[in-house]
Amino acid sequence: MTAAGIVFNHPIYVEYSREIETEIERLCVAIEQLPELIAIYSPRWLAIQLLEHDEVLLAEVKAVSGGASVIDALEGSLTRLEERYGEDVDIILADYRYSFVNSLVRNVLTRPAVQPVNISDKIDKVVTHRLLGIPIFLTLMWIVFKVTTDIATPYLDWVDAVIGGPITHWTVGLLGMLSLTGTWIESLFVDGIIAGVGGVMVFVPVLMSLYLALAVLEDSGYMARAAFVMDRVMQKVGLHGKSFLPMVVGFGCSVPGLYATRTLENERDRILTGLLVPFMSCGARLPVYVLFAAIFFPQQTGLVVFSLYLLGIVTAIGLGIILRGTLFKEGDTTPFLIELPPYRWPHLKTIWFYVWERTSTFIRNAWTIILAASIVVWFLMATPANGAGAFADTEVDDSAFGMVSGAVAPIFAPLGFGNWENSGALITGFVAKEVVISTAALVYNVQDVEVETRPTTFFEDVVEIGVGFVRATVDTIKSVPLIIGINLFEGEGEPDPTNLMAAIQVNFEATSGGHGALAALAFMVFVLLYTPCMVTIAAERQELGVKWMWFSIFGQFAVAWAVAFIVFQGGLLLALG
Amino acid sequence: MLQQILLEIEKAQGPLDLNNLARKLGIERSALEGMIQFWVRKGRLKDSELETELNCDTSDSTACGGSCPGPQNCSFVMTMPRTYSLASYDSE
Repeated sequence: MTAAGIVFNHPIYVEYSREIETEIERLCVAIEQLPELIAIYSPRWLAIQLLEHDEVLLAEVKAVSGGASVIDALEGSLTRLEERYGEDVDIILADYRYSFVNSLVRNVLTRPAVQPVNISDKIDKVVTHRLLGIPIFLTLMWIVFKVTTDIATPYLDWVDAVIGGPITHWTVGLLGMLSLTGTWIESLFVDGIIAGVGGVMVFVPVLMSLYLALAVLEDSGYMARAAFVMDRVMQKVGLHGKSFLPMVVGFGCSVPGLYATRTLENERDRILTGLLVPFMSCGARLPVYVLFAAIFFPQQTGLVVFSLYLLGIVTAIGLGIILRGTLFKEGDTTPFLIELPPYRWPHLKTIWFYVWERTSTFIRNAWTIILAASIVVWFLMATPANGAGAFADTEVDDSAFGMVSGAVAPIFAPLGFGNWENSGALITGFVAKEVVISTAALVYNVQDVEVETRPTTFFEDVVEIGVGFVRATVDTIKSVPLIIGINLFEGEGEPDPTNLMAAIQVNFEATSGGHGALAALAFMVFVLLYTPCMVTIAAERQELGVKWMWFSIFGQFAVAWAVAFIVFQGGLLLALG
Repeated sequence: MLQQILLEIEKAQGPLDLNNLARKLGIERSALEGMIQFWVRKGRLKDSELETELNCDTSDSTACGGSCPGPQNCSFVMTMPRTYSLASYDSE
């Protein structure tokens, strides 16, 4: 753009309509009667400012002797102009000014005939394309889950080995030095805290990979486009266009997703979106998927996890359509403007900040909520319920935990996982979804005690941790080509399943009459959709009100049960799994 | 000019991108941003950044940071695009 060589040798006035100019002149006449004002201000400028409700100048005019006559004239002018235009006078004046600036710019700037298209515009043409936008979004999400599951697995195995090996050895050794071997305290530490908290901590590498992949998409500016693309879909199916924004936020955690519904203007849309947000799979559910997919679908772990995330979106949209056609019938969608940031290379520092913040929060929670939940579950498992055995020396199915979980288990029988172990894990998932894993680790591990064959020294353990880390790093690098389907691990054989994995597999095969994979799929679907964790429920109460909170609690349970039922029974009918 | 912005938003069949709107109106994006801010000040458009405190209310113990991995300051909140919607739809 080039500026024409215009020399401004006279003041330029914004020219308003004849009616406005008449009123400005009237006001100018009134202002010119007051020498106190014209000594400071240009009458025309002051008249325009007064028409635009400048509070400071209004007060100044009122304070001047004789100012009342100007105020009277002003009120008359405002009334006449508002009658004429049916709009606030300051809006009319601003509109004229913007039009004036625009025409001035057109006169003094020479623009290229073809508007230059920057790189962001070029990418957006493809990424936000009406037809290509959705497939691109799904492909990127699929890559995210491939990276999450395939790339992180070696580190997952390493953390699992460290917790199950050296950390357990050191704890047992330390307790032995305190003469606590064989006591309930040792059981609390090993079977309760290490099995419970450790069972969740092993998934930290997986979550780190997820947060890393999402952070890259977010920092590059893509996630904003994803929301834009999905918004169009939401509007097409009759949902509020802005509904997908809180849902995207819900991928991290439902709680901030619920708070993000505040961006929706009317209450009906806010409540509807708030009810759908918990169907988005939060990070806490990921460990459950990864564990079960690794057991039952080892070759398609990434695909299974991706499908579950997708199912969450599809279920939310489907329910949204149903609710929109029933309970939230009236109303139209609100049109809106969206500010898409330019694309940029993600900043390493920002990415690290995102990943560290989110992962450290997960770890902090592991040492607070999950630790507390693990201790409570262990305590309930150690407490005999029907007089059989003593404290910390009872069969788990005779424990208080086993009794309560066993009473609930029949509800899950038609879904293929109706036993006390699974129902117990699901009940504790109400505290936090990660607790499903820590409880599973507790209930399965107590029946499957590992026998230590040879004690290792502290030095050997430290060396093993270091060697394991290097091995995991090498395997991670070798895992990268898995994203495009190249398997560098061929010929190395599948790694042996852990005790927990083997126990879960046997258990699911037993509860489902030999259809373990189908029951596991139904279980994952149930975990995806069932009643949200207690913190989300508290947020629902705050954001949606008590009535809708209860609707969500029972509604989500019913939806989860129904969809899991369809998966399991439908799979049996179709002879799948 | 100003009214045209509201009209374009109103008749849009889906979310409207700021860059596209600037192109459509034949004005600089920075000029459009100024006009949008005018409408926000007048209460005709609602700015998502002003409307929502995405950062959690730390005085409330139920806000982010419980068992579900939601930290005290909502580090799980993704940076979402800023949106502006018509305030007139509020009363519906």
